[in-house]
Amino acid sequence: MYELFKNLAKWLVSGDQWAGTDGIAHRIAEHLEYSLLATLIAAAIALPLGLLIGHTGKGAFLAINLSSFGRALPTVGLVVLVFLVSGLSLWSVYVALVVLAVPAIVTNTYAGMSAVDPEVKDAARGQGMRGHQVLFQVEIPLALPLIMTGLRLSLIQVVSTATIAAYVSFGGLGRYVFDGLAQRDLVQVLGGAALVAIVAVVLDLALAGLQRYLFLPHSRLRSSGRDPHRRTAAH
Amino acid sequence: MNRRTLLGGLFAAASVPALAACSSGITSLDSSGGGSGGGSGSSAGGLTIGTANFSENQILGYLYAGVLGAAGIKTKVRPNLGSREIVVPALEGGDIDLLPEYQGSLLLYLDDKATDTEAGAMQNTLTTVLPGGLEVLPYAAAEDRDSFAVTKETAAKYGLTSLADLRKANGKLVLGAAAEMKKRVVGVVGLKDRYGVEFKEFKSLDSSGPLVKGALKKGDIDVANVFTTDVDVIENGWVVLTDPLNLIPSQHIVPLIASRKADAKVRKALATLGNVLTSEELTKLNRLVDKEKKDPDAVANTWLKSKKLA
Amino acid sequence: MTVDWSWIGDHTHDLTSLALSHLQAALLAVFFGLLISLPLAVVAHRVRALRGVFLGLSNVLFTIPSIAIFVLLLPVSGLTRTTTVIGLTVYTLVVLLRNTVEGLDSVPVKTKEAAKAMGTRPLRTLLTVELPLALPVIMAGVRIATVMSISLVSVATYIGDGGLGQLFTDGFQRNFPTPVIVGVVLTLLLALVADALLVAVQYVLTPWTRRRA
Repeated sequence: MYELFKNLAKWLVSGDQWAGTDGIAHRIAEHLEYSLLATLIAAAIALPLGLLIGHTGKGAFLAINLSSFGRALPTVGLVVLVFLVSGLSLWSVYVALVVLAVPAIVTNTYAGMSAVDPEVKDAARGQGMRGHQVLFQVEIPLALPLIMTGLRLSLIQVVSTATIAAYVSFGGLGRYVFDGLAQRDLVQVLGGAALVAIVAVVLDLALAGLQRYLFLPHSRLRSSGRDPHRRTAAH
Repeated sequence: MNRRTLLGGLFAAASVPALAACSSGITSLDSSGGGSGGGSGSSAGGLTIGTANFSENQILGYLYAGVLGAAGIKTKVRPNLGSREIVVPALEGGDIDLLPEYQGSLLLYLDDKATDTEAGAMQNTLTTVLPGGLEVLPYAAAEDRDSFAVTKETAAKYGLTSLADLRKANGKLVLGAAAEMKKRVVGVVGLKDRYGVEFKEFKSLDSSGPLVKGALKKGDIDVANVFTTDVDVIENGWVVLTDPLNLIPSQHIVPLIASRKADAKVRKALATLGNVLTSEELTKLNRLVDKEKKDPDAVANTWLKSKKLA
Repeated sequence: MTVDWSWIGDHTHDLTSLALSHLQAALLAVFFGLLISLPLAVVAHRVRALRGVFLGLSNVLFTIPSIAIFVLLLPVSGLTRTTTVIGLTVYTLVVLLRNTVEGLDSVPVKTKEAAKAMGTRPLRTLLTVELPLALPVIMAGVRIATVMSISLVSVATYIGDGGLGQLFTDGFQRNFPTPVIVGVVLTLLLALVADALLVAVQYVLTPWTRRRA
């Protein structure tokens, strides 16, 4: 074990391991490209959907079941299926990753929206706010923590699963896992796995930081949102 | 890698005495085949046959099971176990006992500096580089050689018929093959040293699998590493480049077996199969599985019956 | 892309055994995941300092690609079901541990104090008061972990196991969509059925939540 980790450390810090198109730096860049693009596409689909369901209160059944349905979909199967249809292209990777990422974002967005006190929304309307104003100035800010939770969850899963790109010949950190196996180099497999975990953790911490930054100013909004609630309650 | 072999070795060391101990008492009559190449194993407890994750290997696994079954030996087939890097250690570790292998690929897996290309010589070298407890039995008539193929269009464009012709297109073509070919003599290194060929790029795909064939079809690569028994090569009219300098080693099919299981009955049954199974026959079986989507076990059994082997 | 229905008809026996093997791997993983999570969660619930450590660790384990875990386990446990189950168990922890801790947290302090006042010993309180009250939250975790495991089993095809995942490599190697489609659909079905069964189990195990509704 000790020997293995010593070799891992050596592998991770060696300079020529980082350079070139096979190098760690390039592989991380590819891995980030797959993961971030897939999560962005997923967010572009899932956020409006979650907001719509949460705002209108229609389709809640869909939101809840979508998450368990999505969790059950086997990523390997999806990759192979899209590969058989579209051939050797990044489509297979992106479709599978987006499908993986959508459910958690929809469900959490919906959950965040539905947790907003209906009386707060009523009060906002009572103050003359329009539908979209209620959505953007009251509901979304209040739902933001859960929305961010959904995004973080999806991103972690996508980063970890983007390893599969190498299964269908593409790059990213998964290359080290698959090539390491092909070259019977366990250190390389371990190195690839460790790098994926590090990238996932760093991205998650970055999003947590972003969340804190986004969330703090609105915590004031949340308390100011409580005032109209009290007023209506007093009626 | 050292660790893997070390652990594999430990497992093998631990399991061999145990199995030998439990079988020697029951079947002392069975190990009468002392004459056939030092075979002192016993198949009485039955054999687990492993196969790698592609159709031809699975067909071979079921062919082995069929002839061994006809010889009265119990077998269990574990199909689709993964790549060679996964199955050979499993054989060393004792999870499986018998594996359909290919001379050249197996030799390069065990010793990536091996230079033999002729079947007889390779068989000898294999016995010296195999880890303790494993041996190869006589190779079959059938061979599934590595080859390099291009599309008809590419062949016409650059005038390609042999590997030597590739030099005319130096720096222009993309080679697609399994990752390990990048550093192997049978691959980028040998093509450069022996034929003076230099590619524009190397793409890590697979050997004659969906990736490399998909990429050649789509034009993502120009030269693909395919197997000579692959029916897709004929279906697509791809041009297989000849190898005048004998760079590519022989790839006769060879049973890789744990010595403790290799008794006279097993040896005889597999040798009989090896004599009857030719490359043409194997290609036919591949077509049934890959193109007509028949099951490898059914295809194997029907063929064995037609040849009166089972 | 057409589905070859006759292939499905000819392979019902194989499909059934693959599905059962698939389900077995997933359920074993959840079982061992619970076995590990319960004691760890009890500790984490009591010792605040360890809580972050345990949950953080399970989160980090979750980020390791499953394929790498399987490959790294090969020298240890070989091409066996054990390798598959160990790998899958690692991933169940992230959900099971968190939900079990949260479940225990959700038990009202007053209830625990009442048990204490009645002279119930701590272990007995844990088994007869805390864990039953935490059950709804724990079961929510078990449901998620089960569905997640069922979807993950197919990755183990890379190391020769993988239940229905075998259909994916088969279809991939032979350029044959039918097994792949069947594999995806059956995986979804398994997940839905397992989830429904767990809902039923929870319904039976927690009669008090029914009465409240």
